Amino acid sequence: MDKSFYTIFKTFLKVGTMLLGGGYVILPLLQSELVDKKGWIDSDGLCEYYALGQSVPGIIAANMSIFVGYKLRGQIGALAAVLGIVTPAFLAIILVAAMLEEIVHLNFIQNIFWGVGIGVILLVFLATKEMWNKSIVDKFTCIIFFSAFILSACFKVSPALIIILSIAAGIIYRKQIPEKNSIIKGCSE
Amino acid sequence: MIYFNLLIQFFHIGLFSFGGGYATLPFLYHIAENQKWYTIKQLTDMIAISSITPGPVGVNVATFAGFTTAGILGALIATTSVILPSYVLVIIISKFLEQFETNKNVKAAIYALKPAGCGLLAAVAVDMFMNNANLFGMILLVILFFISVKQKHDPLYYLSISAIIGLLAGFFKLTT
Repeated sequence: MDKSFYTIFKTFLKVGTMLLGGGYVILPLLQSELVDKKGWIDSDGLCEYYALGQSVPGIIAANMSIFVGYKLRGQIGALAAVLGIVTPAFLAIILVAAMLEEIVHLNFIQNIFWGVGIGVILLVFLATKEMWNKSIVDKFTCIIFFSAFILSACFKVSPALIIILSIAAGIIYRKQIPEKNSIIKGCSE
Repeated sequence: MIYFNLLIQFFHIGLFSFGGGYATLPFLYHIAENQKWYTIKQLTDMIAISSITPGPVGVNVATFAGFTTAGILGALIATTSVILPSYVLVIIISKFLEQFETNKNVKAAIYALKPAGCGLLAAVAVDMFMNNANLFGMILLVILFFISVKQKHDPLYYLSISAIIGLLAGFFKLTT
């Protein structure tokens, strides 16, 4: 089985190009490319990396790519995978951003972006709703949600500090009240 | 100096944002308010474009913010720095996979992290709503919201509708 730097890079480059609109389309894409076509990992392995990718800070798609790349070929594989997944995004944005600078001052473009700005507010609301469904499971998580919201919205506390405080709160809380079932889940979510 | 600041800011985004997709937004929003590298309006445009271009949204929006701040080199530094913490952490965790997956403190941290990340994003959503939408914008948002409740669509779908309505609204001077 070919696991060269170039093959790994090319496979993730394809995934990175087909990944549109973010969200969780990464899972079926990786299933088709890595499990079905290349046979590099099995479905259970992919689900495990999906869960792991969410338990590490940063962008989930990048995390998953690095996990899989590292499993295939160690550090070289990890580098090939992350370069593959990032390159299409990087090139696409540079291209669009450069073009945008030329046209952004035009009146009708301004109007389009005014409308799109409203669409973005909806997308952020929908993303919040989706995260809510996955993360608010009991009274404690509800309290954390509102504390983070108030600290950020009313007091403009830095997001990093809020994340650090929530980690501390979670660990202290679990020392008092141990959990019943595991939280790191796979594709079942 | 701007390049070094970019490196620090995007490294810290990569280190503290959890939950993928839009999880980096609260950090980029905080940067817009404090560093003034770009405006909230510009950030909103970046999110829109990042949602319809190839690649993970988090990478797109980081590249875009870096580009807006300091050109192509800025984009390169922002993209690399936002990925760097992931790269280092994933490789370390890969070596101690079993310990990581069964560690009680890791589970406790993730259990509390997720609702905190959600709260941060909710704050961004509310702030955008209060500051960016005029009366007509609010009506448009409510209409889009009802469409989304009835049936789930791609980001591209909502952005296309809002782009067309924005274009039409411009003719009637409803966008100011």
